[in-house]
Amino acid sequence: MIARLLDRLSARVHGADTVAKIDDVLTLAISPDGDTRVSGSRSRTTYLRVIRDGKIGCASSTGDDAEELIARSLAAADAGPELELLLPAPAPLPAVESHAPQAAGADATALDRLARALLERLQQSGRRVEVWAERSSGSVQVANTRGVHAGYQATLAGVGAVVESIGAGWAPPCRVHAAGAALPTLGDVELLAAEVERRLAPPIMESYRPLEQPLICLAPRAAATFLRPLRAALAGYEAWLGRSPLRDRLGERVADERLSVADDPLAPARPASRPVDDDGVVSRQLPLIERGRLLGFLADLELGARAGVPSTGHGWRTPNATSRVGCTNLRIAPGIEGPATLRTMLGRGLLIEDLEWRGGPNPLAGTLTLSAPWTYLVEGGVVRGRLEGVTLSGNVFRSLVQLAAIGNDVTWCGAICTPSLLVEGLTVTCHP
Amino acid sequence: MKDAILDALAHSRAGYGELRMRRVWSSRVLIRNREVAAAGSAHETAGHARCCSPGTGWGSVGFSGTDRLGSRLLTAHELSLAGGSRVPITLAPVPIRQLELTDALPDDPRDVPLAAKRRRAEQLAEALFATDRRIASGRVLCCDEVVETWLGTTEGTWIHELRSSVSIAVLAIAEESGSVERALGSLAEPGGWRTGDRTELAQNVALGAVEQLHAKPVRPGRYSVVLDPAAAGALVHRAVTHLARPALPGADPDVLPIGTRIGPDCLTAGDDPAAESLLASGACDDEGTATRRSIVIQNGMVLGHLHSRETAGASGLAPTGHARAGTLRGSPFPRASNSYLAPGQGKLDDLLAGVANGVYCSDVLCCEESGDQVALRAARARMIRDGRLAEPVKGVELGGDLLALLGRVDVVGGDFAWDKSAARCRDGTAGLVRVSTGAPHLRLVDVPVGAGVA
Repeated sequence: MIARLLDRLSARVHGADTVAKIDDVLTLAISPDGDTRVSGSRSRTTYLRVIRDGKIGCASSTGDDAEELIARSLAAADAGPELELLLPAPAPLPAVESHAPQAAGADATALDRLARALLERLQQSGRRVEVWAERSSGSVQVANTRGVHAGYQATLAGVGAVVESIGAGWAPPCRVHAAGAALPTLGDVELLAAEVERRLAPPIMESYRPLEQPLICLAPRAAATFLRPLRAALAGYEAWLGRSPLRDRLGERVADERLSVADDPLAPARPASRPVDDDGVVSRQLPLIERGRLLGFLADLELGARAGVPSTGHGWRTPNATSRVGCTNLRIAPGIEGPATLRTMLGRGLLIEDLEWRGGPNPLAGTLTLSAPWTYLVEGGVVRGRLEGVTLSGNVFRSLVQLAAIGNDVTWCGAICTPSLLVEGLTVTCHP
Repeated sequence: MKDAILDALAHSRAGYGELRMRRVWSSRVLIRNREVAAAGSAHETAGHARCCSPGTGWGSVGFSGTDRLGSRLLTAHELSLAGGSRVPITLAPVPIRQLELTDALPDDPRDVPLAAKRRRAEQLAEALFATDRRIASGRVLCCDEVVETWLGTTEGTWIHELRSSVSIAVLAIAEESGSVERALGSLAEPGGWRTGDRTELAQNVALGAVEQLHAKPVRPGRYSVVLDPAAAGALVHRAVTHLARPALPGADPDVLPIGTRIGPDCLTAGDDPAAESLLASGACDDEGTATRRSIVIQNGMVLGHLHSRETAGASGLAPTGHARAGTLRGSPFPRASNSYLAPGQGKLDDLLAGVANGVYCSDVLCCEESGDQVALRAARARMIRDGRLAEPVKGVELGGDLLALLGRVDVVGGDFAWDKSAARCRDGTAGLVRVSTGAPHLRLVDVPVGAGVA
């Protein structure tokens, strides 16, 4: 369909690009009472963007009617923004591992086997366990009127669980998952089970001396949540033209000199790995912060045209047809300290395994208030117990400037690869 | 479409088969500051087929397009067998209905050119900036949607419905002397663009941001708190949604047993998917069950739960018409729609009277829950001093254990109002559904207030 669209449009517009996405998802979930649900979902969407008289119009459709899609995109251009959009020319695509045939071919039986492997390791009395396994297999085709015609196949597979402790030793629901382009292995299942046991095993601290601004070790899953404002501050309109606290600070030191952050669409077999973005711009690794110094922001074609900068290949089409800028795979470089050393460095401090995202007073500025139900008191390198009702507040950007240490335990949490971070200067309140 | 759906259902060999198709026409215009940032339209047709048979669990399949409906049902049937569930599904019986609710839309958003929608959005942006010179930047997002739904089951249910809605979301950022504050507001209602003047929304959002410029952070402590209908509704939605719906995939399974006391006698709440002129209302739910008002909490006691046919069947009860699909291609689950707190007596002044030192929360930025903890963050707040509204304050967050919070309800006002904000509820992995809330003013006593109290 995308070739047909561009053929029909070529004489009517100054430029156009189109993306066709197909996604085939199979999900299997086993509820705590043993009910198994299997669901499949196949979606197919075509996105069209036209440039006519210097204006941009976007439309999308799940159907095959090319003329109807063209008519709507032209109508959108009448109302759309005026922008000098320069579509990319054809270029060689990098080799990226974004597709795993084994994941693409996984059927309900394979997902059931995976989910039950995790269920067996987690199930015990006093727990309600819900497990799921999912695989998605699809393709993306991108083309434009300058001759780009690129495409790739992608898979995403995952397994996860929600474990709730009931009765004595109550704990909040413990959510874990592993995901990547390939089907999770039994080794991944073992790691998830070990994480659940590690989080549930310590006893609840009935009483303890409160810590107001302790040293805090954010384990990788917690660090991934904590860094969400950083992701937002590095991307799109807010970074280039808006209210990101990092705007206009390119080249400056914005974080501890041990911190390096990069966006990596070429990381093998990760959730957002791709050789080309939805604008047809070839993917590349992009250093964002190097040894604490701010090196770059993410842009797509439209934002690039507004800000007068080249696209970095971070365009995504949204369900409502327009485009947005977003990270692919964000990588935080590892430090040198191992987890045991980090715990020893805490002295009397807190280890946070996971955080619940709640936004906060002003997340873009980095001002956060986060619920931390998986917080542990550590003394002399030993986990003493779990603290209930912990809330963390402070500013992410200030914390990144005064990092106490960075761990060497880099772990993929979805599309973020991060080590543990030892941070200070955050306020901890506790209302058990 | 009707013939294709009925033909597919007629050939299904599953014990129960259900086929739902939706066609959605939508458009959106985004104004950033005073300039259009994006304009676009989407046209999506998608469906969902679901089957179960005696001794099997659900198998379901979602898809784009309208072709091969018979094979979609067959795949769903095969998946129900492949799941190997040990828990067979029992569907509570419902009256079989055939409904055609497809009268021409009197104010069809599809008849309004995108260029006209752009002008409307630009006018709202102008109103936003004209309200106060301290508005430094802002955004206006105008969206509309027409949804046509076809639902058929092997039991003979047939529903065909056409609906339209419009929504506006406004963000204002005010700046003065190095202080920066923001405010958000939204509106969503059935119908189209020809009726209603929405400039008041833009002006109110602008004033909200400006008011926050001079607000001082609230001093953390325990206060009597009066919630306006929007904030009270948000709290009640959490209570209704998360205490009264059976477990959802990926959600916390913490349903309170019927008969549990969770608040004082003045607390009566429920959910009404049949309420008139609200976006989450409808004649029937996504399983074809007729919607009806359900009382969940009566005089402080849990009286009932929200049910789909499946959860009602498992409990031996009647379904309540709350089966809602969170995505075009997803299964329906029991979800809240229009949660309400039943009115008591008195107006705002009556609730403020007698409060020597308290906090008034008007409007809500977010109300989130985790396990049994809830956190409500006020968008705007004022101190209450000697029974009167006093200076604005910011950073007002109240929360803690949801049941403990409901137990602190002191007085329920009589000035009930539905809140028409463009609210959506995400619950577990069951997707996003539109919701509305309705409540009068509400007073709670001895509530921890501050930042991060929840």
